[in-house]
Amino acid sequence: MMQKWMFSAMHNPMIWLRRLHVMTFKEFLQLKRDWMLLIFIVYAFTADIYLAGSGVSLQLREAVLYFTDQDKSVSSRELVYRFQPPNFHVAGEISENPRKALQLLDEGDAMVVLDIGADFEKELITGASARIQMQIDTSNSVQGFLASSYAQRIVADYGTEKAMTRLKALGGGSASLPRIIDDHRVWFNANQNDTWFMSITELLTIITLFSVLLPAAAMVREKERGTVEQLLVSPLSSFQIMFPKVLSMTTVILIGCAISLALVLKGIFHVPIRGSLPLFFAITTLFVFTTAGLGLFISTIARNLAQVGMMTILVFTPMLFLSGAWTPPEAMPFWMRTVMYASPLHYYIDTGFGILLKGAGVDILWDEILIMGILGGVIFGVGMARFRKQFGN
Amino acid sequence: MNWHRIIAVSHKEWREIVRDKVFFALAFLVPVSMMILLGYGLSLDVEGIPLAILDDDHSSASREYAYRFIGSRYFDFRGYVDSERDLNELLTDNRIRAAVIIPPDFEKNLLSAKAVAVQTLIDGTFPFRAQTTKGYVIAINAAANMDMLAGHLSKILGTSEENIRRQLQPVRLETRYLYNQSLKSIWSLAPKLIMLILMISPPFLTALGVVREKESGSIYNIYVSTVSRAEFLVGKLFPYVAISMVNAAVLFLLATALFGAPFKGSVSIFFLATLLYVVCTTGIGLLVSVFVRTQIAAMIVASIVTLVPAVLYSGVLIPIFSLETTARIIAHLLPAMYYTNIVTACFMKGTGIGYFWLDVLILAGYAALLMGFGYALFRKRTAT
Repeated sequence: MMQKWMFSAMHNPMIWLRRLHVMTFKEFLQLKRDWMLLIFIVYAFTADIYLAGSGVSLQLREAVLYFTDQDKSVSSRELVYRFQPPNFHVAGEISENPRKALQLLDEGDAMVVLDIGADFEKELITGASARIQMQIDTSNSVQGFLASSYAQRIVADYGTEKAMTRLKALGGGSASLPRIIDDHRVWFNANQNDTWFMSITELLTIITLFSVLLPAAAMVREKERGTVEQLLVSPLSSFQIMFPKVLSMTTVILIGCAISLALVLKGIFHVPIRGSLPLFFAITTLFVFTTAGLGLFISTIARNLAQVGMMTILVFTPMLFLSGAWTPPEAMPFWMRTVMYASPLHYYIDTGFGILLKGAGVDILWDEILIMGILGGVIFGVGMARFRKQFGN
Repeated sequence: MNWHRIIAVSHKEWREIVRDKVFFALAFLVPVSMMILLGYGLSLDVEGIPLAILDDDHSSASREYAYRFIGSRYFDFRGYVDSERDLNELLTDNRIRAAVIIPPDFEKNLLSAKAVAVQTLIDGTFPFRAQTTKGYVIAINAAANMDMLAGHLSKILGTSEENIRRQLQPVRLETRYLYNQSLKSIWSLAPKLIMLILMISPPFLTALGVVREKESGSIYNIYVSTVSRAEFLVGKLFPYVAISMVNAAVLFLLATALFGAPFKGSVSIFFLATLLYVVCTTGIGLLVSVFVRTQIAAMIVASIVTLVPAVLYSGVLIPIFSLETTARIIAHLLPAMYYTNIVTACFMKGTGIGYFWLDVLILAGYAALLMGFGYALFRKRTAT
């Protein structure tokens, strides 16, 4: 009798679908009851992305500069005047006491201190090389390096301009000089708007975090509470136990993603969504599914939720930082870049930025999508296989 | 507060942690692996930018100019292309991040002492990288112009090129890099990673540890016991603070021994400040655990309230003065910024406590505040 019933279920797609429906509904119900979790899912897709995208820039902005001017000439004033926002912020002049300068740097109140000597203008006019000293706080090496190169450019431009007027007078005022004009264009984000970059990166990060964590946690919770035993004795296959969890969480993530795109990225930050949104959602679905496979894999290893949490961080942080999302992949050491090519997130970020900012279509992104699909298939397959082995069919 | 009860609670918690061998191992493995991976991987140095060149002139001058990019270590030359359409596609497909287009008549114009515009295309998806790339392009152009100008003027004026060059650069900027003379990015990064990891790991451990009891129901044993709220919280948090301090010591060793970051300050003051910071971050975990009922929620909330602010508003990547007003206010409201100041002072600057006592004091106040909130909000009964 029982066997006959099961036999018919396997061959009746209606029953199969209804079970899937009931199980998926159960997952949504469970999520609805954890309202704190729901609030934070909403927070993550809205306020968190807003915070990451607003007011944060990796470029050198408003580097605090102090100067000592022993020359007090027109030339020295003109030079200091050239240190302007957005890169620099001239905070004030300090007396000739070098200890004061060091103290400002030590306390982190100054980033750059310029020291203009007494004979600056005289040396500049006679053509003897005039010297300026600069001290830079490089405890943040990247920002320190930027400050240094900007300052060098400002000083070099200033010097060349002064020299050119003099040399032109010498050369009889010949206006024509051979020269290469640098005509650079920044594509895809012409004003180098950090907001676009940060908000998209944060959205992709949140999607990744949830797609590893939510399915793994939903699975292990049943294990921890023993409710998985009830599921296993029910007429459900292991696929029917597992798949609804992935399905419900994917739905939640896609809804969150849509809200975030509409309200925060498009609505507040005016990210130009240049490519096809259906394609973006299709790729996001593919990515969430593959990453959910990783979560399921974790759930087969972990015995309780605490272990899931720690393992998720263990997998999630390297995935995130090795994806090229936060740092340019070109700067990574070779072996790390090699590992990066095995992470689906790397391809998701390339395609995500490609569609949203560059307006790329399948014709250009097909290889990334293909690799992501293959990687995803393998990850999901291994997760599924381990799950079957652990719980039997 | 009864010390015996606190010790009993701590002992029980410790046994629970140790019995779950996987969890226990992960508590130590996670910070170490984060340090190693981020230390090697999280670099903002922009080098080896993939580049393609379109040379429409095919002259010796254009080749010479192109070679300035090809030979630069900042660019990774991927080859010449034949048309702008190819460049377009390479940029869209992430195969190159920059392109140079040398116009026809490049050489002819320069030889007749005219100005010629060279177009460079830069991928702007990652604004920081675009900005730096633009800087390299400007520098390469400036060097090319200087060479040309010196050659040209020396012919006209009849003096040596060297003399012209000196006259063209009448101002010399002498730069002194303080605290990190060789501009090693790992030196400035590794100490700040201690801050970052101690902001992520302890709250996670603590929130999970407390909520685990709530979810499994074993917390009812505490509710009905004679243990007071304060005794329970202190006893419960102690093992997590202890684990985090061991991790802090390991991270300190990795930063100094593996990554070679210089430590110039006082070790004892550093670890005292670290203890305060760990109490703060453990307190954040406690506060999270008070608000949530399930472990999943605890994980999500803990990772969201710690990870993003710790990366963005702590000064690890972006200096506080570069932040906009709202972001700067947020930075001052969180403990991470103060600990970053302490870490920088102790590692890079070697300044004494006189320079950062205020940061230590604020951390102490923060720790007290968090524990106070946790105590006030923790109830020996649940709503459900």
